[in-house]
Amino acid sequence: MRSHQGKCGYLRLDGYPFNGLEQVSDSGIDKAFLKDQFPELIDLSDSHHAPRSQQGDLLTLIELPQFQAPQHAGLTGIDPRIKNQLEALRLHPDRHLHFGRDPELPNKDTLEFKKLESFSLSLNASVWDPPSLNTLWFELVNGAYGDVYRAKALMNLPDGRSMFFNWIVSQESSQFLPLEEISAPNGRPASLSELVVQGKHLDGLRIQSTIDLCLLNDAVLEMHQMPLRDRQKEAIPST
Amino acid sequence: MNHAIISCLHANLPAAEAVLNDIDRQGIDTITCLGDLVGYGPQPNEVVELIRKRDIATCQGCWDEDIIDGLNACECSYPSQLAERRGHLAHQWTDDQLTDENKSFLASLPTSLRRDRLLFVHGSPNSQHEYLLPDMDAFAALERVETAGADILFCGHTHQPYVRELRDGSIRVRLQNADHDCDQGEELTLPMRKIVNAGSVGEPRHGSTNATYVIHNDATDEVEIKEVPYDVGQTCQAIVEAGLPKVFAWRLSHGFEFAEQAEDASHVCER
Repeated sequence: MRSHQGKCGYLRLDGYPFNGLEQVSDSGIDKAFLKDQFPELIDLSDSHHAPRSQQGDLLTLIELPQFQAPQHAGLTGIDPRIKNQLEALRLHPDRHLHFGRDPELPNKDTLEFKKLESFSLSLNASVWDPPSLNTLWFELVNGAYGDVYRAKALMNLPDGRSMFFNWIVSQESSQFLPLEEISAPNGRPASLSELVVQGKHLDGLRIQSTIDLCLLNDAVLEMHQMPLRDRQKEAIPST
Repeated sequence: MNHAIISCLHANLPAAEAVLNDIDRQGIDTITCLGDLVGYGPQPNEVVELIRKRDIATCQGCWDEDIIDGLNACECSYPSQLAERRGHLAHQWTDDQLTDENKSFLASLPTSLRRDRLLFVHGSPNSQHEYLLPDMDAFAALERVETAGADILFCGHTHQPYVRELRDGSIRVRLQNADHDCDQGEELTLPMRKIVNAGSVGEPRHGSTNATYVIHNDATDEVEIKEVPYDVGQTCQAIVEAGLPKVFAWRLSHGFEFAEQAEDASHVCER
């Protein structure tokens, strides 16, 4: 997307249940992160944008949750039901990447398991004590609350920054990416904040109670932010 | 003669027994304990009573101090809000469990012990709460040892065992005399000093679940860091059965090197 000269779009499709396994609902984390990195990103799930965006230079990332590997490689492996959805949007994919098959994506993201457990938590307006967040994430991805295959989050820090956290069990370490947009250090941010965890034997209650110990209350948040505001005021030249 | 130094037992009876058995097997009968007999673990009375029964010379750790004086820690005691809140939970549980007699014993412990040129403390000569990390600034490290008037400083608190030799050290003292408007200076060249951290018996954080302690030979000054396996599962089960946070058992059962540390490692404790 970064090297593409034209417009970029994003479309998240829901996918279909497979052998009774339910699909995970979309947390919006990917869209929020991409929108931050590419402010001009066209959201093709918005019906107002879809008809107008059929331009030759539009590069669209289509994300589709899927439990099973496709029977065929390449475009012929796309589920016919998905093809119909795309055609309705007049989208004609030219590549079909799959975890475990294509080198662009981690090859061990898909693991053998019979039952997917998922835990998600809205953290909107929550702000973390940074060292506590570091500890919570370490514990989470190292199995303190169950076997985690995948974890993803957008987290707010007291200085106005938001961070994208990304963990895949096959990778050596987590990915931590700061978002471009920084909120003013003035109370609680309005941007999306969410945690999604997938794995086995997840103890959601303990994750939640640990998170409660990590989040800043209003008084402590103000203690962090007041000096930042003072520094910003000093940095503004008087007229 | 060999003598053993143990630290940070943290109410972990199986680990404490395993380490003392290992020391006994080597015929060592001089043992010094650097404190933190309680905290995080499920057997605070049992561990205190074991130390009392064996009559082991012990100095007071930060947990031992907090149980007696209450929580009034400097910011360096807890590196994060999460650590602080978990610490308070464990503190309350331990406070409820400990007998008055064992609390009196903890209250009676000195903050340091000295044998000739050897100094024994829990954290640093300044405070039971101050961390002497292995990578701390060399000048600050040398200053701690030199000011305390020791050749070898034995400490714990970090739960990571290490031996640090401070060679070729010198301290330059410059005195400005206001009356005579002149500077007087003196440079002191110091012989080698050593900081020896005994790690932790009851809550190791050195990448293994094994308990650690050290053996020092006071004739040759050789130091050996010892690792002792023990029944970690037994302690983990006791933690869960006691109602302490399960994450304490998880942390113990993995022996991660991960340890929360204050952002400013050079922070001087103001407690």
